[in-house]
Amino acid sequence: MTSTAVSSRPSGDSPEPVAPANRRSPGHLALVILSRYGTLIGLALMLIVFTLRAPTVFPTLTNFTNILAQGSLTAIIAAGLTYALVVGEFDLSIGYAASFAGLLVVGFMAIQGMPIWLAIALMLVIGAGLGAVNGILVTKVRINAVIATLGVGTILIGAAFAYSPFPIVTNIPPEFSLLSLGRVIGVPNSIPIMVIVLAILWVILNKTDLGQKMQAVGGNMEAARLSGIRVDRIKIFAFVVAGVCAALTGIMLSSLLGSGTSSAANGYLLNAFAAVFLGSATLRDGEFHIVGTLVGVLIIVVGFNGLSIFGAPSWAQQVFSGGILILAVGLSTLSRRILKAS
Amino acid sequence: MTENQSTPWVQVRALSKQYGGAQALASVDLDIHRGEVHGLVGANGAGKSTLIRCLAGVTRPDSGEILLDGRPIELDSPTDAERAGFAFIHQELNLVPHFSAIQNILLGIKKPTTLGIVRWRRAETVAREAAARIQADFPLEQRVDELSVGNRWQVMIARALVQNATMIAMDEPTASLSDSESRALFRIVQELASSGVSILYVSHRLDEVLDLSDRITVFRDGRATDRAVRGDLDKRGLIRAIVGRDVKPSSRTTGASIVRETPVFEARGLRSLPMVRDVSFQVFPGEVLGFGGLVGAGRSEVARLAFGAARLEAGSFELVGAPFRPRSVAHAVEQGVALIPEERRSEALILEKSVTFNASLAALRQLRALARLPFISNRKARNRTLEVIRSLSIKTSSPSLEVGRLSGGNQQKTVIARWLLPGIRVIFFDEPSRGVDVGAREEIHAAIRDLADRGVGTIVISSDVEELAMLCDRVIVMREGEVMGELIGDAVTEADIVELSYAPVHELEQELR
Repeated sequence: MTSTAVSSRPSGDSPEPVAPANRRSPGHLALVILSRYGTLIGLALMLIVFTLRAPTVFPTLTNFTNILAQGSLTAIIAAGLTYALVVGEFDLSIGYAASFAGLLVVGFMAIQGMPIWLAIALMLVIGAGLGAVNGILVTKVRINAVIATLGVGTILIGAAFAYSPFPIVTNIPPEFSLLSLGRVIGVPNSIPIMVIVLAILWVILNKTDLGQKMQAVGGNMEAARLSGIRVDRIKIFAFVVAGVCAALTGIMLSSLLGSGTSSAANGYLLNAFAAVFLGSATLRDGEFHIVGTLVGVLIIVVGFNGLSIFGAPSWAQQVFSGGILILAVGLSTLSRRILKAS
Repeated sequence: MTENQSTPWVQVRALSKQYGGAQALASVDLDIHRGEVHGLVGANGAGKSTLIRCLAGVTRPDSGEILLDGRPIELDSPTDAERAGFAFIHQELNLVPHFSAIQNILLGIKKPTTLGIVRWRRAETVAREAAARIQADFPLEQRVDELSVGNRWQVMIARALVQNATMIAMDEPTASLSDSESRALFRIVQELASSGVSILYVSHRLDEVLDLSDRITVFRDGRATDRAVRGDLDKRGLIRAIVGRDVKPSSRTTGASIVRETPVFEARGLRSLPMVRDVSFQVFPGEVLGFGGLVGAGRSEVARLAFGAARLEAGSFELVGAPFRPRSVAHAVEQGVALIPEERRSEALILEKSVTFNASLAALRQLRALARLPFISNRKARNRTLEVIRSLSIKTSSPSLEVGRLSGGNQQKTVIARWLLPGIRVIFFDEPSRGVDVGAREEIHAAIRDLADRGVGTIVISSDVEELAMLCDRVIVMREGEVMGELIGDAVTEADIVELSYAPVHELEQELR
């Protein structure tokens, strides 16, 4: 190779054209529509099919009230879970925490003899405390959220058994059942309670600086930290909200059942997750939000309602629950992928 | 070793790659012969890494081709690169810490098996042979996390040999090696070359590159600008080639009214090992202070220390005359210190959120509808965003556009907009114009100058010497965690910054003795 010392090579190459803007194919557009509105379309389809197949039973005011009343408990616990997911964490303890709260609130009245309001208030505070424990384990001790909340949840199962190995059914003040079953202008209390809780959570998440910070932490934790946001505090707050919502759901379930059982609310965990993930694929691309979560809850409870109207065997409920969870997470991942691709 | 009787072993032809608006590689040609040590040098961002990434099958070039022994090959994945006989050793050695040296050498290799059971003894022999070839003199049963960094390099090289690599690329091999470990590595490099393996040697340590390389290619601005064979060049010539000749000192901006009396920010004796050893500096109102040096010199770490994002082992800060000890990032921000990080996309932006959201993140308190209540006023947020869009000329179709859809320059301006707040007194800019087109770069520089004129302490960390020479009133050059020198006013030139950047610490120490 002949070479001269440091021969400067003329750079005669022309600059290449800038990459063209991404093209949108009709197939891509269909995917975007499906990923944003798929859940709403699904809900609408269910409503139409059920109405056509069971015109006398399904589309009645009583049945819709029933669906909403059933859904309100799921909606509250799922809204709390939405907060944990918005900040990029998981909370697997909420189902057990709800069962724990449902048992203890009844016990506080039946065994400790507390007045109703005190039992409820105390239980909500305990729920907040549980959330704080989760949050501290995750942020300060730096335990993975799945492990930390699974551990806390399992401890709660044990604690509930220790408190009362048997369901508590006697000595409960009869007024306690009014919490869920009492009516305001003809609708069961659980519906307005749900509306109020979701409204508050929506306002905090979308209209306050706290909510902006939560979204920033979930969107890019490092960027949030380097913007001066106290990431740990924000995450702990989200866990506290999840804990309070779980406790409230447990309390309302006990009021509905008229008893306290140490495993009554365990099933809410799965449905809450399915609802939140369905919600994240609703209207926004893979982002967790309160309105989406409500849509997710409606899909699940309308589905359950349909199953029972058409007399599906009880195992079908489990299949539906598991199937919808997988579908929900699948949809949510899909919409996030589409967002990235575009 | 440099006979050219045959075609080069690896030929790179007209390779080009563009990232966003920036041309990372512009029609690069490169020949690597069998059994030669080929040195690659150039400033950070000159294109060396992009070339290596293309060879490694990690990045797909936009155009151009790569030939192996005269035949074009496709490098679509790291597996393709491995099959072609290319091995890559980076500074962050790709080792499994709790595996033994032998296991690490054999990692990812198809091991000899009988009926699906690995024949470890056979495999071990292969590993031992490779280790013997480079005269590795440590017990191969030892876990690699118990080995010295030098020995870990030998493990990586042995792995490359087991994979029958015919070309090994080494990125900054001596950056964390001691002198004796470096010498051992040089011996291995030379022996490998004489046994026919080609070595692509990427380093900022120019003395090493000059000593070892049969040929040297210099990269500048995405082009292979200069080539030399052994003996053609001395260090000064190499530095000149790295900087380029077309230095234009005319376009400097300077502060209108710099008063170097009371600093707005001061650091004394900072230490945070291993990156920061001893750093002191002052920033005066009205001036733009630059931090020059190579990547890894500890400049970003100094900024992170001042910003409460890294732990300080020793030293102190003073902010507008008062002692300042950042406990956390949030605390530093409250005190009026801001950092615009190097990694814009991963450390500064929430890509799927809007321009308004991203620009408002540090200003949430000012954007409340009522000061006492935590509610954000959409109107205030929007007005503030419109204002910064105008003042920084951010090109976006709307304040509610996702920030991820903006160009690199406009993303950077959005990050700057975040910190245009009344309470901010010091801003660190870490690589403010990386991946940004020329027009946006000028606008970013104007914004930085404007902040300085308004008395905000501005510190610019940049590996782009041209940027430092154009923008800064004063430049501190760091190397390996220490301040190497300071250039003021008209003494701030590209050549001097580069020279200080490459000054080896121990050479200076010897001069002092």
